[in-house]
Amino acid sequence: MRKLLFELAGTSAVAEMHDDVVPKTCDAVWNMLPVEGMAIHANWSSREIMLHLHGEKLLRLPPEGPDRRGTTAPGDVVYFWRSPQMSRGKQLAYSAEFQRELSELAIFYGDPAGGGMAADDPARSGRDLNLQVATLFATLIDTPKEFAHKCEDIRHNGLQKLVVRRLERSA
Amino acid sequence: MTRVKIRLGNVEAFAQLDERDAPKATKWLKETLPIDGQAMHSMENGREVYVVLDTPHQITEENQTIYQTVGDLIVYYKPAIFVQPQWPRHIRDFLVIGFIYERDSAIRGMSGPLATNLVGKITEGIVALAHEAPRMRREGFGKLSFSLA
Repeated sequence: MRKLLFELAGTSAVAEMHDDVVPKTCDAVWNMLPVEGMAIHANWSSREIMLHLHGEKLLRLPPEGPDRRGTTAPGDVVYFWRSPQMSRGKQLAYSAEFQRELSELAIFYGDPAGGGMAADDPARSGRDLNLQVATLFATLIDTPKEFAHKCEDIRHNGLQKLVVRRLERSA
Repeated sequence: MTRVKIRLGNVEAFAQLDERDAPKATKWLKETLPIDGQAMHSMENGREVYVVLDTPHQITEENQTIYQTVGDLIVYYKPAIFVQPQWPRHIRDFLVIGFIYERDSAIRGMSGPLATNLVGKITEGIVALAHEAPRMRREGFGKLSFSLA
């Protein structure tokens, strides 16, 4: 299986892609890499940081894989897309371009990984209307404490640069 | 009616305490003010900013709601895992005081809505708070203080 490298403020973590379960999503993400940007901490989904995708990196992918009903575990890496109709109030912490349509990589770095607690309101998930896509496409193999600490640090000290690269097999 | 000054980072706002419907909690709050601490943004509730009260208090349920709205000044026990990176060994929740600055927010416990004591309402400066909190999400959080106005 292909692997991804996440680099954040001098720390890094490796994730393994779920090529066998969601191959189209994995291909799309893989082909888009590398990508970098300023990661922001979640304010609904607990211990999650997000990297918003924009410009030529923006992905609009259809749902793939087993239905997800909000349950999220530490280490999950999720492709998320939300249509403009699903905008959740004013998103003043985001750049204007992300305040309506949103395409992002979501990294759940610790407990509680609350994707199902609040962000994924059953009443407005949009799953049935294809207004929202959340595809679990990779899992952190191991989350180094330093990486998790830097993720938590974003919550308190603001945005940090996150780079996501392909981790190519060494010769 | 008692007014409370709220200072978050670079902005100020004012709230009026609801002494009629929350007499015990507002009495406790008036005796406790000023409160000054590290501002924290909710990771589970949406647009909520709060401070943790690090001394033990026993706040009873009063004027509670699970339907928080913009401008609510709330006091409640927040599950510790939402405050610290890991569960503390002997602490399961922390008493916090905070406010809701934008819609689409809902205070959550570990398995669903969490009732909070509604102790007052922000009457001035909510727009300033609604811009300062997102700025601090981007640039880092400073202090949050509550004092008698």
